[in-house]
Amino acid sequence: MNKDNKYDIVVIGGGHAGIEAAAIAAKMKCKTALLTMDFKTIGVPSCNPSIGGTAKGHLVKEIDALGGAMGFLADQAGIHFKMLNISKGPAIWSPRCQIDKDLYPQVALKYLQSLKYLDLVEGLVKEVKLIKKKIYSIICNNGTELTAKSLIICSGTFLNGKMFTGRDVSVGGRFGEQSSENLSDLLENYGIKRGRLKTGTPPRISAESIDYGRLDIQAGDMNPAPFSYLSNKVENKVLCFQTETNEDVHTELRKGFGDSPMFNGIIKGIGPRYCPSIEDKINRFADRDGHKIILEPEGLNTNSVYVNGFSTSLPKEVQINALRKIRGLKKCEILRYGYAIEYDFFYPYQLKYTLESKILPNLYFAGQINGTSGYEEAACQGLIAGINAAAKIKKLDDLVLKRSDAYIGVLIDDLVNKSTEEPYRIFTSSAEYRLLLRQDNAKYRLCDYAMKYKLIPKERYNQLKSEQNIIEESLFETKNIKIKADDINSYFIQIGETTLIDSTDINTLSKRPGVSLEHLINMTNAKPKSLSSIIKNKELLNILNIEIKYEGYINRQKKEIERFLHNEEKRIPVNFEYNSLSSLSNEAREKLMKIKPESLGQASRISGVTSSDISVIALFLR
Amino acid sequence: MIINDTITALATVPGISGIAVIRMSGDDAVKIVSNCFRGSAPLMEAERNTIHFGKIYSKNYLMDSVLVSVFRNPHSYTGEDTIEISCHGGNTTYSLIIDELISQGARQAEPGEFTKRAFINGKLDLLQAEAVSDMIHSVSVSGSIISARQLHSGISTKIKKFRQILLDACSLVELDSDFSDEDIEIINRKDLKEKAEEVLNFCTSLIESFNSAKIFRSGFYVAIAGFPNSGKSTLFNSLLGRNRAIVSQTPGTTRDYLEESILVSGVAVKLFDTAGLRETEDAIEIEGINFSHSVLSQANIIFVLNDISISEEHSDSLYKKIQEDYLAQKVYLIQNKVDRLPSLPEINKNAYISAKYGEGLPDLFNIIRTEIEKNKANINDILINERHLILLKGAAEAIRRAISELDYLSPNEIIAIELHDAARYFGEMTGQAWNEEVLNNIFSKFCIGK
Ligand SMILES: Nc1nc2c(ncn2[C@@H]2O[C@H](COP(=O)(O)OP(=O)(O)O)[C@@H](O)[C@H]2O)c(=O)[nH]1
Repeated sequence: MNKDNKYDIVVIGGGHAGIEAAAIAAKMKCKTALLTMDFKTIGVPSCNPSIGGTAKGHLVKEIDALGGAMGFLADQAGIHFKMLNISKGPAIWSPRCQIDKDLYPQVALKYLQSLKYLDLVEGLVKEVKLIKKKIYSIICNNGTELTAKSLIICSGTFLNGKMFTGRDVSVGGRFGEQSSENLSDLLENYGIKRGRLKTGTPPRISAESIDYGRLDIQAGDMNPAPFSYLSNKVENKVLCFQTETNEDVHTELRKGFGDSPMFNGIIKGIGPRYCPSIEDKINRFADRDGHKIILEPEGLNTNSVYVNGFSTSLPKEVQINALRKIRGLKKCEILRYGYAIEYDFFYPYQLKYTLESKILPNLYFAGQINGTSGYEEAACQGLIAGINAAAKIKKLDDLVLKRSDAYIGVLIDDLVNKSTEEPYRIFTSSAEYRLLLRQDNAKYRLCDYAMKYKLIPKERYNQLKSEQNIIEESLFETKNIKIKADDINSYFIQIGETTLIDSTDINTLSKRPGVSLEHLINMTNAKPKSLSSIIKNKELLNILNIEIKYEGYINRQKKEIERFLHNEEKRIPVNFEYNSLSSLSNEAREKLMKIKPESLGQASRISGVTSSDISVIALFLR
Repeated sequence: MIINDTITALATVPGISGIAVIRMSGDDAVKIVSNCFRGSAPLMEAERNTIHFGKIYSKNYLMDSVLVSVFRNPHSYTGEDTIEISCHGGNTTYSLIIDELISQGARQAEPGEFTKRAFINGKLDLLQAEAVSDMIHSVSVSGSIISARQLHSGISTKIKKFRQILLDACSLVELDSDFSDEDIEIINRKDLKEKAEEVLNFCTSLIESFNSAKIFRSGFYVAIAGFPNSGKSTLFNSLLGRNRAIVSQTPGTTRDYLEESILVSGVAVKLFDTAGLRETEDAIEIEGINFSHSVLSQANIIFVLNDISISEEHSDSLYKKIQEDYLAQKVYLIQNKVDRLPSLPEINKNAYISAKYGEGLPDLFNIIRTEIEKNKANINDILINERHLILLKGAAEAIRRAISELDYLSPNEIIAIELHDAARYFGEMTGQAWNEEVLNNIFSKFCIGK
């Protein structure tokens, strides 16, 4: 550890945001310290033992493309890999993996310890001072004192955290851990506005108490693919199991509603609509007689099983009685009861796109403290905050990803402009340009940014560029290779397609549903350069296939992006007097003055600002 | 950033007229006028919505006796303090007064600036601003009436409703993807298709109503066709009620075509006298006369004129041919020169007229009037302009594609793209989706003083 405790960057909090922020800042050669209450809790998955999933998998791929850690760590700790939504369109294919919850923190710690510019420091923050508007001084309960040019706060759900199970309330940020109270008050004293949110977690049950014979098996993929380009191979080591709730379960649960902190008003924070507790689900979808439950082992060396789909904060006896009414869980034993947690967050409209505070210079916020939910959402913010904090110190440009660049861009743009009423979770529907922002092309989409900040090695960059080239050229080549009707018709008859009369190019042919591009390429005798190399690479071939099948739509989305960027470039002066425009609605005026959008495009995405408000501003700017 | 500087411009058509109205809007409107106005009471204290008689002076030199209407912020067209000065018409009077107002601190308004201010101050929404612009450009009385109706009524309500249906459908489709790991089917494709078809029907009926409403915007077209010397120019003139086309006895005198407008049932009716259709050998050569063709294909009604003094059947083949070639047009066979017959035939199937002496002309007007009324009946409460039509067609296309993608079992995100597209077109109609070009277009079509 640094003798004088003077750092370029100090990251507070060792959760998923903190890991990324600290690691990337260190990779960018800034002297960095990661301050956490306990080394052993770095990267602990406090809720579900899984990484990725619909849209979240995209985030992990993007993090990996930008030199982040999450994908690489998940690959090492992963025990069950599955590409979700394979039966649906390629834009929403999403990788997901179960992780060993004990192994993940270990590989995270090992990874962080390997970084030359990074120090890990234990301590609970007692005080933060900004000295001469330039240097942050951080003082911990244990007497440790650090200084930093930039401070990144990634304290997750630990700010004034309160946990609820039925009428039992305890203070803490995660089961068995203390919460951090001073920090939240300190930040508020600096004029940063905070609110309260809540989230919950389901019970864990013991593996021996489950009647597996009565459950349906959910296996991982046959050929599981890793998240990260740094990983060679991953393996499925466990199975998951599926069951469902029923009317009896619901009846048991309803008995506890009177004691539920969600219903009796003890919890004031607003819960996530999208990751609802089981009590929420049976309340909201009253006509449904069952909800899917997945039993996910939490690791290889633990008997703890996560009951996915059963998040609850009902009293203990209600939880156990209800669970025991579920198929296969008749004799189940609870290892840890489900609980709800309520915590402070800071309204993210107070942030710039770089995640730097608009109020205090060189202070960054990332993760659940900004009102998001989920490890992946937290991690990508940590990464962006880390890159920007380091870039500022190294006098490089800000890194702002646009909605048309990445899901990360969508997420941060939403955070800054849309008021968070509930924990923000990323969705595929959040992204307008879904067909372009796929998980398979994240590495290509973001490699120029990654190279600019030297987040990936030069060789990696060159390789990505040459792959991109092969795909582009192959696309071109498919338009010029024709197949004779006689040569292909027997294949078409075999797959039940209408036969050809004239010879046709393979690009057109492969757009037909059910026709295999690979088969078509293989049929051509004299393959041009790129096609002959792409045919040997399954992954690239798959991308080519998507690019051909959806070419029309992809091109349309590219056009839309041009329009979008045009509005992003219409700057609004910082001192724009919204007050003098009487026709703006009060809500719009208030929001605009609060957020101070940089462009007309940004203004149009602020919730509460209507298109006629935008028209008025636009007319005014002319 | 000053927006309330005071602007002024002539609000009526420039040139010689009975009266001219000068409009003024802005914080200093009342002050500036009161500087050069002398009436029975001081203007500065005038209540809103009051009219004052008095005289306008320029440096003690009397310019005109005028009526001054005072509107107070926000109860005016622009939402600002507004003055309207009614002065005597004539080229010099109003321009001298405007010069005086400008020297007192007002600024010459730019085209559309009054409406732009009304818009900025929330007095008009985009659709209404557009209706104002349509009204200015409308060719006929009914056109203005319908634009005015659009200005005040809820044309956008329906469009907004259908846009919402699209957006809801979209979010359901997207939710379906978002919750693909849960086993909840959020929307089934059959319902989705029904919704899409409902919106598509709305689009098509609106497009039809646009075609009907077109006559109010660009007029109702009546073309007169017939062999040379059948009396086309003569009829053209008698319908117009004045001598315009050259009438001669040498076939082929009417070159190209002549066009004039008259007002029937409040609609501008455009009359076209087409070039004579010549008969070569046995074949009737109408394809060769391109200009006539373009006129005939635009027409709402075609009158085929026959010279009955040659024979009642003389033009039958021509009539038949035109009927076949112009399916969208109402084609009427008109028997002309009945004054030359000793007596009229018994069965009165066709219109029998004498273009020269005016007999039977009311019949022709009746035909025109009936057709116009039929068109009017097709127009619901909704009326749209050319921009709306383009958007509407775009929306209809997108929905059609969405439906065919549904049939192809394409993935959700593709369906969502089409539905979003359609919703965007709808949004641009009502101004709910913001589009800069639309805004520029609407305000650039205005003239000064509006
Ligand atoms: N007696 C009579 N002569 C007519 C009538 N209409 C047209 N004519 C005459 O027919 C001739 C040709 O008419 P014109 O209008 O030039 O025919 P166009 O070639 O079809 O335009 C002129 O001498 C007209 O005066 C009619 O109703 N009665």
